[in-house]
Amino acid sequence: MITPLDDFLAAAVRTATPLALAALGECITERSGVINIGLEGAIICGAFAATVTAGAVGGSSGVAAGFAAGAVAGVLVTLLFMLFTVYLRADQIITGTAITLFALGLTGLLYKTVYGTTGVGLTIPTTGELPIPGLSQLPVVGRAFFAQPLVTYGLYLVVPLLAWWFARTHAGLALRATGESPDAALAAGVQPRRVQALAVLTGGAFAGVAGATLVLAQSGTFVEGMSAGKGFIAIAIVVLGRWSPIGVAGAALLFGGASALQYLFQSLGWREVPYQLFLALPYVLTLLVLARASARAQAPAALARRELTLG
Amino acid sequence: MSAPAASPSVLTLRGVHKRFGDVHALRDVTLEVRPGTVHALLGENGAGKSTLMRVAFGLVRPDAGTIVVSGSPMATPFTPLQAIARGIGMVHQHFTLVSAMTVAENVALGASGRYAPDVVAARIRDIGERTGLVLDPAARVSDLPVSAQQRCEIVKALARDVRVLILDEPTAVLAPDEAAALLQWVRHFADADPSHAVVLITHKLRDALAMADDITVLRRGQRVLCAAARECTEASLADAMLGPDERARALDEEVVPHMTSHDDSVGAHHEVVFADALDVRDTRGVMRVKRASFAVRTGEIVGVAAVEGSGQHELLRAVAGLLPTTSGRLRVPDDIAFVPEDRHRDALLLDASLTENLALRDAGTRRGRLPWAEFAQRTRDLLDQRDVRAASATVLARTLSGGNQQKFILARALDDAPPALVVENPTRGLDFRATAAVHDALRDARDAGIAILLYSSDLDEVLQLADRVLALHDGELRAVPRDRDIVGRAMLGAAS
Repeated sequence: MITPLDDFLAAAVRTATPLALAALGECITERSGVINIGLEGAIICGAFAATVTAGAVGGSSGVAAGFAAGAVAGVLVTLLFMLFTVYLRADQIITGTAITLFALGLTGLLYKTVYGTTGVGLTIPTTGELPIPGLSQLPVVGRAFFAQPLVTYGLYLVVPLLAWWFARTHAGLALRATGESPDAALAAGVQPRRVQALAVLTGGAFAGVAGATLVLAQSGTFVEGMSAGKGFIAIAIVVLGRWSPIGVAGAALLFGGASALQYLFQSLGWREVPYQLFLALPYVLTLLVLARASARAQAPAALARRELTLG
Repeated sequence: MSAPAASPSVLTLRGVHKRFGDVHALRDVTLEVRPGTVHALLGENGAGKSTLMRVAFGLVRPDAGTIVVSGSPMATPFTPLQAIARGIGMVHQHFTLVSAMTVAENVALGASGRYAPDVVAARIRDIGERTGLVLDPAARVSDLPVSAQQRCEIVKALARDVRVLILDEPTAVLAPDEAAALLQWVRHFADADPSHAVVLITHKLRDALAMADDITVLRRGQRVLCAAARECTEASLADAMLGPDERARALDEEVVPHMTSHDDSVGAHHEVVFADALDVRDTRGVMRVKRASFAVRTGEIVGVAAVEGSGQHELLRAVAGLLPTTSGRLRVPDDIAFVPEDRHRDALLLDASLTENLALRDAGTRRGRLPWAEFAQRTRDLLDQRDVRAASATVLARTLSGGNQQKFILARALDDAPPALVVENPTRGLDFRATAAVHDALRDARDAGIAILLYSSDLDEVLQLADRVLALHDGELRAVPRDRDIVGRAMLGAAS
């Protein structure tokens, strides 16, 4: 039998999935010393491209094509950000903000152009939950963690893989060194510009997939501005997760849980509490945790630095 | 000219030109490093030594000139990656270590494929056994003392089978014994294998003469001397570095300590700064100064000698009123002046005018309208009286040379004739001339009756300036005689 707690946990993991994807990508980006405020823009572009592509292709291959298109769109819009910040060394905050505003406007415009006023309707194929036999029957955690769309299971692999890659490969070392001290990286034979370019684009791909997840695994449709600040929440999640993949996954789950509390309270019949309070909860949580954690926070030392090397 | 075919040089730079904007940093410079030798590269600050070696390591792209490594000319652009692949390693004056990473991670940085900490750790231990450069592979670089960080830089180069090692002012941050050990190691490395060579960038004539086989001197971006070390003398090198006019003064400054002004017949010297059993914690709460007791009297310079990170940073700031003391007694005048070591970060607003920088001094205690006309006049007076070379009082602080910036900071600190002054590395990064000017200004202040507490990471500077010396080791302060050997030992914590 399904309890309110099961619902709550399942909703928490479901809400956490796109957040975790975007935040892991941003984690890679920030470890190279670049902060991509344009993440929100990459998410919404990914969502739109996924909608159009999945609708055009249709069927279960439409879902796969949608995810791929989301990744590509995320990379393309981030390419613009990357060229300005990594190669022209423009200010990262201003460029990122511009990219986000641009992407929100562009997807809104394209949406009206493609679908007119009628909207997408129910023509988009979506990915359903794929319960893992056995595991999904476990008490409490079973349904929450093992009756989810495929993309969530993908995260279970990506998170430890990324943690291993950061710590145990020379490429991971080069990434971290670039974010800490581009001068030291350069002197050791690393090419900081290239590392940053690749890290930023990878982050864009993750954000694009996060956007595709919103459409293909959750809402089943595109709505203007549907990213709804998830890019910015993802940036907070990276700080909360201390720039480590495991930490980021945990922080994303915490945020997913805070967002899902509204379902729990609704099902418990606490209807007199305004739902806006629950919407505000993740943000209040961010402030509280960051205020306590900031003393120990260890951001990459060269984060958001414009000049790449002193030489 | 070309290298003799019989013994091709391991590293040749020929006809190197480099401009940075209007500044001609290198003009047709040629350097030839013979195998199995230590080659000293001498020159004043700004002479182009570091720039030349950054060209050799691929960090600076020259406007013209060729780089030849072991007989084969290098294609352009020449990058650090290619330099490393060709067996060139460089230890920069400002270390290029990632301080948040471990020693092993720093050593491994730049390679490709899987990173196995155990393998790298074994390699570091192996290098430690062979060369005596012992390090803990798992230690975080930010926790290491400066001398160990330097070892880490060298081990990083050795781990890549470096044959030509470029060391940029390697002894600047070391205590005397550590410096001597390092130079000995350099000699040993060059002798160990005929394919090895070391380029030693330095401004210390004695080190060059004692260690090097060949010496090249740069002055204002040009090569002015290239000779075997045994044909050089301190006088001939100083001539070449400074040009004949400046030589007499500089040598006097470096070799002969000035007479101190201690004349007990002149009134009673009363204690201006007084500390008794003083404990100071740093901003993270770590105890950095333990039960320090000392006094600074009117008209004397008390010098603190210490290796990096011994607690001098905190001691000076506590005396200057910038850091609270944990326990003990500390008596200092309210208007004590402080000249911090990082003048760009802590002492000046680089993009503000000199007048504005002067006005900053008491900004925290003033109320109401700013009397700009008065500040401008005071700034002009300062520039005149203290020989600060600036076009006017309205130019940006950034436009002044490092020496003139420091003279200005010192003049500003001394403007109201404070009873006491705390100075930290007052001549860091300055050339001979500017150093001499700052030293003169400090001695004048002392002779005018100001009590001065001085720290310099250059022990020779402490010995030159100080009337009394305090050695600080691991937070423990004690008075020591003004003797280079004794002070050097005390800095390292050895019993006298």
